[in-house]
Amino acid sequence: MTGVSGPESKPLDPSGARPRSEVTPAGRGMARRGGWIPATRPERSQQLMGLLTIAPALFLILALTLYPVAYSIWLSLLEKHSFFPQERFVGLENYLYLWTDPEFWTSLWLGVIYSVWTILFQVILGVAAALILNESFVGRGLIRGIVLFPYMIPTIVAVILWKWLLNDTYGVVNYWLFAFGIVRDPISWLGADHIMLSVIVMSIWQFFPFVLLSILARLQTIPPELYEAAKVDGASATRRFIHVTLPQIRGILFVVILLRSIWMFTKFDTVWLMGEGAGAGRFIRTLPVYAYMRTLTYYQAGLGAALAVIMFAILVVCTIIYFGLFREEADIG
Amino acid sequence: MKRRRRRWFSTRGLLYVGAALLALQAAFPFFWMASTSFKPPPEVFAQPPSFIPQDPTWENFQRLFTATAFLVYFRNSVIVSGLSVLLTMVVSAAGAYSLTRYRYLGREKIAGLILCTYMFAPIMVVIPFFILVKKAGIENTHFALVLAFTSFCLPFTLWLMRAFFATIPLELEEAALVDGAGRVRALVYVVLPLALPGIIATSIFTFILAWNDYIFTRILITSDELKTLPVGVQDLFHSALIDWGLIMAAGIMITIPALLFFVAVQRYLIRGWGAGGVKG
Repeated sequence: MTGVSGPESKPLDPSGARPRSEVTPAGRGMARRGGWIPATRPERSQQLMGLLTIAPALFLILALTLYPVAYSIWLSLLEKHSFFPQERFVGLENYLYLWTDPEFWTSLWLGVIYSVWTILFQVILGVAAALILNESFVGRGLIRGIVLFPYMIPTIVAVILWKWLLNDTYGVVNYWLFAFGIVRDPISWLGADHIMLSVIVMSIWQFFPFVLLSILARLQTIPPELYEAAKVDGASATRRFIHVTLPQIRGILFVVILLRSIWMFTKFDTVWLMGEGAGAGRFIRTLPVYAYMRTLTYYQAGLGAALAVIMFAILVVCTIIYFGLFREEADIG
Repeated sequence: MKRRRRRWFSTRGLLYVGAALLALQAAFPFFWMASTSFKPPPEVFAQPPSFIPQDPTWENFQRLFTATAFLVYFRNSVIVSGLSVLLTMVVSAAGAYSLTRYRYLGREKIAGLILCTYMFAPIMVVIPFFILVKKAGIENTHFALVLAFTSFCLPFTLWLMRAFFATIPLELEEAALVDGAGRVRALVYVVLPLALPGIIATSIFTFILAWNDYIFTRILITSDELKTLPVGVQDLFHSALIDWGLIMAAGIMITIPALLFFVAVQRYLIRGWGAGGVKG
């Protein structure tokens, strides 16, 4: 799809998870880059109706997504209160401030820790669970439905649920740890020492079903003959996984990891609701949380916007590197 | 022979253990939430905790409906999610129709541009969005929320709809046109019914996104009577003494509509998943 056709479109395109029916013919990428040139000029009425029907969607996206994003680049060059209209152009001052701001570096580091661990375990657990649910056994349909629950519920519910499970005095987790003699004193799961661990575990729980379902959908399209042939050749289960399954799911894995990385690195609500940036929450003040706090706790909209722009730039750079490293997978995906 | 048999059993056993763990990790927290919501306050804090409420009661739910603004939040959530689904469906169906049925210059460019916006996370959009909404004078309205959700869902719903529309053979429509139906009639009687699975899949995504959203509502809505469930429930949580029974009852009440919706249309959802995935 577009993502692999031109360098300019690469970083912006989560591509391969797109509709399968849009299979790209060989020459499509070329045509797209140069603008779509029809063999014959489309009729006037065709042009008019076509543009008229796409107009509402185009308007909403331009006005409500692209314009705000462009505006945030402008905003990052201003010193502006979040609520009052006064503004002052300060150039790159916000960025210079952040460069020397220890809190920015801390939040970047915390964000990286949070993303790396959550993505790693989501992918491992998601693939393992997909392999399990790809086998046939009694009750598989039911379990497939149930495992999606955590992904479907509102984040606020997931958060209050986990805060209750992890409650230091009355939580069932501490009760079990105590009952089985694993700990003597209750662990303060939401305290400074463990809050990062708690939010990572909770996020894995909440988001690995996405990986599971995406991989499962792909596993089901692998022709069984491939496995039978491997079995005839005497390949063990491990070897079958490495030589048959893995090459087949490589493409979708590439896309899933890309999407999950973008979403985990910019994850706001789960992290914010767990700690709210204050108290022990300082230890999970990731980049998105910090951007939010600059804007709505300290009312420094310019700094908040600069943080959002930095976040975006990091994503673009990482995506380009990612596409470069996994060129082959990008083509399959 | 004997060795093979035993091996078969152990892999099978491992499979069942894995499946059971999967089901348990997803289901237990919900079971625990439900269990807590039916316990009277003293039992909520009992040690050791009772897994099945010893003395089940509706008390927490009664308090939720009478002593808090829960029903107002619920109504707001229904309004905002419903309107978002409606607007998103109309706009993305029109857009998908355009992208698959008309030929015009720049069509593919427009499609590509729309797809690009898919990677903007809420946190990157919401801050400038909030300031622009203030400038436009529509802050603190459901209208602003509906616009936010619609524009946020559009890239995805449009692409999904486009994929579904593309699978509907043009000949069917042409046949209708030859039979004297206008474009609109052909759309209503031929294209839309065939695209129904796609329309359902996209409406689930939009509904769940709008129903679950926290960040847009937190930032765009300030007055209590306009808040939706996630923000309203977070505020319940802020009272000095956390009433866990009440909070868990609220959790159950928010989850049920989303889950019912999800179960009712699950097969469409999984179909849509193959085609694109959900944002979040």
